[in-house]
Amino acid sequence: MTDVEILKQITHNVFLVRYENREFLVTKSKFKPHYGERKFSDFREWIPYRSKLAAMILNGYTVDFRPEIKILYLGAASGTTVSHLSDILEKGHIYAIEYSARPFKKFLELALERKNIIPLLKDASRPEEYAGIVEEVDFIYQDIAQKNQSEIFAKNAEFFLKKGGGGLIMVKARSIDSVAEPSEVFKRVLSELERSFSIVKYGKLDPYHKDHIFVHVEF
Amino acid sequence: MSEYKSEYKVWFGRVYEKDSELEVRKSDDLVQSFEESKSEKLDKIPFSLKEAGIRVFGSEEDYYSSLRRTAIQIAEKEIERELKGSERYLISLLKALDELDLGINLFSEKIRDLEEIKIDENTEKFRRIVRDLKKLRRDIEDEINSGVARSMPNMSEIVGGIIAARLIEKAGSLKRLSSLPASTIQILGAEKSLFKAMSRMKKGKKAKTPKHGIIFQHPFIRTLPKSLRGKMARFLASKLAIAARIDYYSGELKEDLFESVKRKYEEFREKSKAKSRK
Repeated sequence: MTDVEILKQITHNVFLVRYENREFLVTKSKFKPHYGERKFSDFREWIPYRSKLAAMILNGYTVDFRPEIKILYLGAASGTTVSHLSDILEKGHIYAIEYSARPFKKFLELALERKNIIPLLKDASRPEEYAGIVEEVDFIYQDIAQKNQSEIFAKNAEFFLKKGGGGLIMVKARSIDSVAEPSEVFKRVLSELERSFSIVKYGKLDPYHKDHIFVHVEF
Repeated sequence: MSEYKSEYKVWFGRVYEKDSELEVRKSDDLVQSFEESKSEKLDKIPFSLKEAGIRVFGSEEDYYSSLRRTAIQIAEKEIERELKGSERYLISLLKALDELDLGINLFSEKIRDLEEIKIDENTEKFRRIVRDLKKLRRDIEDEINSGVARSMPNMSEIVGGIIAARLIEKAGSLKRLSSLPASTIQILGAEKSLFKAMSRMKKGKKAKTPKHGIIFQHPFIRTLPKSLRGKMARFLASKLAIAARIDYYSGELKEDLFESVKRKYEEFREKSKAKSRK
């Protein structure tokens, strides 16, 4: 059996490794695969084509998630990215919001085996519906592909994000405006976010996700 | 109980604010209090939820394990309800939509008839009804669109809410639609002309099978010249078959499906323009 060689540690429990002469982004995990990713020794492959956060990291930008923080995750879907965040936040908690029942069913399998995930089948555009459930958090992650996603993000920050807390927003140009130039759409989203946040960094998710950007903000 | 300034419904019960003190009361039924909890003032809760909770749970560990257990219990229940309810609801909305269309047409015709004779207050009453019906129609259409986008995101993206809902209605359920071959989806809704063509063929006569059924309503097919509609319908149906399966088995949006449909349409569009120029 070939060994896993650690090339670089990126942040807590996140590594770049070499295995069978290929490089992989991985998280250290004692859990079984969740979405068809490979597992070698203690590591779970983090597939950038499936997770926008992995794409961002492979494109050279990292947000340093400390293992004890609390995250509000909007748009958990079936839990691809959440599963890796759950590996990272060993002592923290993830409040995961998803409004569509079908992927949530798959997501629930993940939530059942991991103690740091709190699954909530709710509409992210109505934070008042879960204001009595979610506590103040250190970070909000949003991947919801909705027209008014920056507005939804700001609303959730008002309710739950502590002052000085961080946020990551994954923006897909076509779900905001399907006819406008992506660069125009991104400009618009950035200026909307600038009203309530300071923008730390933004960048492309190419080649893994076309016409997408990530935006890292601070509240 | 003494007087308090505000009351907050939180997942583990109630929190009362008096002067600067908080009084925390744990609910006997966490599932119920979890479901009822929300901010009624549409505002942030002004105290630490976790600290208030620890007062009744005793420790942070117990707080989180109870929260998680209750959240999972409720999620399981809600998933069942959503998956069962949503399709039947969408189909009944669709039927309501069709009946509204009939009504709107009927009344509009009556208005025209009346206007030809005499404009009086009765025509005004009819007009008001038609206005209201049209408003209701828009609302129902929005409801269908958002419902389909929620439970069948891929089909919704490719053909829109109404056509997707019609396909579900014709097939009976998303489950059945996801098991149909693309060739069947292509002519769903055109069964009559299909069977007519088949019976002619049986008798040894020449006949053409239909190119499209419900999906003909899609602008990508309707706006193409007749010679290309069949090809486009076949392509669209093949992508829809994939979309239905993803929607049924995973429910997550696959972003390049619609892209490929759009590219094909643009290709055909160019072709038809080039032809007409010749």
